[in-house]
Formats: sequence, structure tokens, C-alpha cells
Amino acid sequence: MFGLTLGEFQAYGYFALTTFAVVMLYGYIYHLYSSEKKGTKDYEKYSNMALHDEITDELVEKKEEDSKTEDSKQDRET
Amino acid sequence: MFHWLEKRPFFFGVGIFIVISFAGLVMIVPHFVEQARPVVGTKPYTTLELTGRQLYISNNCVACHSQLIRPFKNETDRYGSYSLSGEYAYDRPFLWGSKRTGPDLMRVGNYRTTDWHENHMMDPAAVVPGSIMPAYPWMFTNTADVDTGWAEAETVRVVFNVPYNKDIPLMDGSVVQVPLASTVEGGRAEALIEAQAVAAEMKNQDVKDAVAAGKIPEIVALIAYLNALK
Amino acid sequence: MENRPLEYDYTVAKMFLFTTMLFGFIGMLLGVVLALQMAWPEFNTILGDTMAEYINFSRIRPIHTSGVIFGFTLSGIFAGWYYIGQRVLKVSMAESKFLMIVGKLHFWIYFLAILLAVVSLFAGYSQSNEYSELEWPLDIVVVVFWVLWGLSIAGLVGIRREKALYISIWYFMAAFLAVAMLFIMNNIVIPTYFVSGAGSIMHGVSAYAGTNGAMVQWWFGHNAVGFVLTVPLVGMIYYFLPKESGQAIYSYKLSLLSFWALMFVYVWAGGHHLLYSTVPDWMQTMGSIFSVILILPSWGSAINMLLTMKGEWKQVASNPVIKFMVLSSTFYMFATIEGPIQAIKSVNAIAHFTEWIVGHVHDGALGWVGFIIMAALYHMAPRIFKREIYSKALMNTQFWMQTLGVILYFTSMWIAGITQGMMWRAADEFGNLAYSFIDSVDALHVYYIIRAVGGILYLAGFIIFIYNIIKTMSARPVEERDLQNATPMAA
Repeated sequence: MFGLTLGEFQAYGYFALTTFAVVMLYGYIYHLYSSEKKGTKDYEKYSNMALHDEITDELVEKKEEDSKTEDSKQDRET
Repeated sequence: MFHWLEKRPFFFGVGIFIVISFAGLVMIVPHFVEQARPVVGTKPYTTLELTGRQLYISNNCVACHSQLIRPFKNETDRYGSYSLSGEYAYDRPFLWGSKRTGPDLMRVGNYRTTDWHENHMMDPAAVVPGSIMPAYPWMFTNTADVDTGWAEAETVRVVFNVPYNKDIPLMDGSVVQVPLASTVEGGRAEALIEAQAVAAEMKNQDVKDAVAAGKIPEIVALIAYLNALK
Repeated sequence: MENRPLEYDYTVAKMFLFTTMLFGFIGMLLGVVLALQMAWPEFNTILGDTMAEYINFSRIRPIHTSGVIFGFTLSGIFAGWYYIGQRVLKVSMAESKFLMIVGKLHFWIYFLAILLAVVSLFAGYSQSNEYSELEWPLDIVVVVFWVLWGLSIAGLVGIRREKALYISIWYFMAAFLAVAMLFIMNNIVIPTYFVSGAGSIMHGVSAYAGTNGAMVQWWFGHNAVGFVLTVPLVGMIYYFLPKESGQAIYSYKLSLLSFWALMFVYVWAGGHHLLYSTVPDWMQTMGSIFSVILILPSWGSAINMLLTMKGEWKQVASNPVIKFMVLSSTFYMFATIEGPIQAIKSVNAIAHFTEWIVGHVHDGALGWVGFIIMAALYHMAPRIFKREIYSKALMNTQFWMQTLGVILYFTSMWIAGITQGMMWRAADEFGNLAYSFIDSVDALHVYYIIRAVGGILYLAGFIIFIYNIIKTMSARPVEERDLQNATPMAA
């Protein structure tokens, strides 16, 4: 494939995918902290899902029927 | 982007799956293209040996005995030359084990005899004082399931092209064939001939009588397998 | 329908709670029998010579491992799922008849699978792949109940009220997906009866030969440990510890990061079972390296758990359920540093094939898995039965007995393992082997006895646990509001 031996293909594939995964992981760390700092999203509030889990308790985040429009709206609000 | 994923359980699941299958894709899958090739001298198991191997499996001998000699001086001194990948080409499943409560058996056929196994399987502590291995006396009376042994040989011949009835090169340049009958009746007859050779070297009269009557006790099949481990 | 307030429905969780105790008892009892057989081989024939075929060491060893992993642990995980799943998604099983049927079917097929597994392993039907011994007809039953579990996860998530998925749900989903992939890949066999028309219908021959088979098996074997004995249990402790202590997770962000890191890194580490074998060198090295990296996500979770108790350490002294969970996290840290050490090639040269590995497995299984599952059951039982725990004193007794049991177990196996490893490689002044193999067996006798004592203590603690839970079913009833955080228990 592409003039490479299987071993070479495996090695390049491995390198490319691992680099991608590392970039994603650091991107995720950046996302977690920056979104909290900017106030667009507070991940820590999700801990409350375990603490306030009675069926009568208030929802941490309501599930909307039309998630496409609501997502962006809620992102701006929170 | 991350937030988008976290809100959609289906795509989120797909994401998890991609991440966990990553290692398998890189490590496991490409390797299968290069099928394990047998080293010179590695032969497929005969019907009786495969029957014995199935007994080795069903009695879970692998819980205490490995079949993998690592390339260390103490292991090659103790068990013989270290294992090569091609030597396992006909092992389905592999029986490397992960624990040595007892010694490695990869090349036990080189240094133990039918007679030794016969005594040892009947009462391990009598042969090796201090041994904690259980005795397997029922193997001298239970009849081995040769049909399933033949069925396995026939299956690997058909599905995986294992070279039964074909020339197999040996180290000294000569060739040898491992015969496999085309019917289960033929397989039974072949196994019985092999079993007679093993039983001739044994002392237990019940075993000899059973083989003379055309039955193969489990111990005979097991010893045939152990003797084939070289 | 009458106007009754909606409640969580724990019917299925309760069923799995009982099987956790049943299979836990059977699995641990067999473990004790095995330990005794290694200390005194006479135990192989304790039920007479005719029964020896079925109860000798080699026959019951896979029943012990499968019984504890797929009987005890999976039951605990399923009980946890049918409890936590409803609560963090804020949706009741009672709201969907379909999901209730799926849940019950899941339970009964699972129960059937485990019973058939025990019977078939006693009868000697095995394919000798560790933790994957069952023959192909039983594998199909396993796949059926696994699919039903998946259906249950997808169903509950589908009708949830809470938009975001709590971290525990992430872990359950990952466990479901990974085990499905690994189990199917590792159990691909060709049933010999259908190809040749002869022999036993139960028998199948593996699609993988030799070295390839070893790679697939330990890719499975290591990750079965990862995705059954670790991943869903991390998910469970992420729910039960915050809930029981009333403390929010120390850092929710860290829990998410550790999750992804664990998912990525774990699967690579299977190669550490194959060091110095005939698999390609780069794969062995990879297995070794990733095993060491694995410390990071594992400790990320464990430290996150322990820091959740920050400022509330007094609860550890006063609440036995917290005590169980904190010890469990500690053993998790311990096992996840020990594992990487054993995966270093030069250490593995001594440790592989020895009792040290057995010790490592058991400080994970007894210390981490056992303790978190029992703590989870102690938390769930009062909520399921609406009664307080029967006896706090018994809980404490059990805790100390089992802790002592685990310590005796792993210390004796460490010494035994290193003794074995050193004796095998010892050479005299001329470079000849210093010991014959049987010398190394003789040397371990005393450690086998200590290990058996440790095992008996742990089993005795488990019997106390079963008694306590059974008595809880008829203990003093409690009000809903008393069940908010700390579990109510009678002195």
C-alpha cells in the first residue's frame, strides 16, 4: 500500500495515530480548563449528579427535545 | 467539539470504541497477515496425540505447567533449547501457561519416558517425593474420546490447511508424513495402532487389556501427547 | 394509573445483589480449597477417590477464577448498574416495561450462563484459555446476556432526564464495549463437529495458532482484568464514595481525563504477559512501556477518590462503608504500582511464572475488587430494602478480618514468588543449576499455609458479610430522608 511494506505502514500509522491521540488529550485538557475559566461550561457541577440523585431532585442539566438549537443557547447562558 | 460529543451518547460510545480498539488495530491485526510458519521439523499432531492434547486441556494442566522456555541460561539448562515461534504453528490453542507450580513441559518428551509418566500420573509423590501434584488414577480407566481428536485433526486440515498426508521436511534433510485417515473409523484404527505402541511400554494390566480389546484409556492418549512434546 | 409518586425500581438490582453473594461465596470457597490443596495435596482426594476427578486442583482452578470474575464481580457490577444507572440518569426502571423485561431477562440468562459454566467446567469442558475457558455453545449464551446488558444501558440512557452522562456511566459504557470486542475476538473457534461430522459437538478449535493465539489471548486476558475488574468498579466508586460521604468528587475534570487516558493506555499493556516469549520484541517492549504509563491514569482515579475525603477523614473512622471504600482505593493504588513494576522486563524475568503474580492478582481482587463491591452492596442494601444495616459491629469485625486476610495473602505470595524466581535461576560455583525444581516446591510449603490462612480469614469475613446483608432484610425500617448520604446502621 502506497509503496510501503506492511511493517512500515504499521509504524507510520502508529506514529500518526498516537500523535493525534496526544493532541486530542491535551486539547481536551485545554478545553476543560479554558471553558471553566471563560465561564462557558462548569464541569465540576456534574459531581452533583451523584449527590442530588433522587428522582424528585432538580436536574443538573435538563435534557432538551431539540438539542441542536438548545445546545448553543445553553452554552452561551451557562 | 468535546462538548458536542459528551452530549450525544451514541457518538460518544463510538468515540470510546475507537480509542479502545486502537491498540488492537496497531498490535494485533497487522500481525495476522504474516501467518506463523512452522520451523523445520515441526509436525502436526497425530489423532492420538491430539486426543491427548484435548485431555491436557480439559484437565487444565496449563494451570500449573507452562510450555514456553524463555531465553535464559537457567531455563535452557533446565528444560532444553528456548522456544521458537514456528514450533507453535500447530498449537490451537497455545498452551504457554502463566504459572509454574510444576516444571515446564515444552520438551518433556526429550527427557521423560512412557514408564515415568505412567508411574507419575498414578502417584506423583511416589516418583517425585514432595510433589504437590494431584494423582490422576481415573485416567487409567476412563476411555479417551478419539472421535473428537480425529474431528479436530480433520477440521484443521480442511480449514487451516495443516499438512497431514504431506511431506514435512526434517532437520536432517529427509521428509516424513503424518497420516490422517479420511473417515472417523479410519481415525480410530490409526489411533489404536499408536496406542498399542504406547501400551506395550506400560505395565498397568488394565490398560494393556483395554487396548487389546480395542479401547484407548485416557492415560495412553495423554502419554502419547507428552511424548510428542519435543 | 393511580397517582403515586415515581420511585426508583430496584427489582433487578436486588436480584443481582443476591447472586453477588452466592457466586462470591462459591468462588471464594473454591479459592480456599485450592489454597489448601497446594499446602496439603491430600485435599485433592478429600471427597474420596471417585470425586477426585472433579475436585482436584486442575479442575476447580478455572471454576474459581471464572466464578470470582464472572460470577461475583460481574454480579456486583450489574447490581451497581441497575442501581446507579437509574439514579444518575434520573429515570426509573418502572417507567419502561420494555427495559424492565430486558433487565429481568438479562438476569436470568446471566444466571443460567454461570450455572452452565460451573457444571461444564466441573465436567471438564474447557478450552484452557485463561478466563475464557468456556466452550463455544456457552460463549453464545454469554454473548446473549452481554447484548441484553448493552440494550439496558442504551435504553436507560435513551430515556434519561439528565442531559449529561455522569462519569460512572462513561465507565459502564466503556466496560460494555471493550469486553464485547475482546470476548468475541478471543473466542472465535471452528466447531469441529460441523466440519468433520464426528466427535463432540461441544468442541471447537481456536482460529488462532501458537504465537498469534497468545497475542489475542493476552490482549483479551489482560483487558478482561482491565474492563471487568477495574473500569466498571472505578465507575462504581465514583458514585458510591461521593454519595456515601456527601462530598463532591475532588476534581470532576481529573476524573474525565483519567477516563480517556485509561481507555487509551490500558489496552496496550497486554503484552507484559508475553515478555521473553516468542511474540515480536517491539510488542513486548510496547507492553512494558504502556504498563508503566498506566500508573498515571490509575493513580489519577485513585488519588481523586482519596482526595474526595479531604477534610472529612473523620468519616473513615466512624463509617465502615467509607472505611471499605478508602481501603479499596488504597489497594487499587497499590496494585497499580505493583503491576507496572512486574511489567519491567528485568523484574518480569524473575517474577513471571511465580506466585508473586498470584499475589498481585489477589491484592487487586481481594483488596480492591472485593472491598469496593462489598461496600457498594452495603450502601445499596438499605436503599433497596428500606431498612438499616443490621450490625455495624459485624461490619467492623469483617473489615479487620478481611484486611488481615489480604495482608497475609499478598505478603506470603510475594516472598514465595521471589523465592521461587531466585531458586530457579540460582547457580552453583561451576555454573550448574543449584536446585532441582522440587526444591523450589518444598521451599514454598510454609507460604502456602500462610496464604491458606489469609484466604480462610477473607472467606470468613465474606460469610459475616452475607449474614449481615440477609439480616438487614428484616432489620429496623428507616425513612427515605435518612437515606440521603451516610448509610444508616444499627450498632
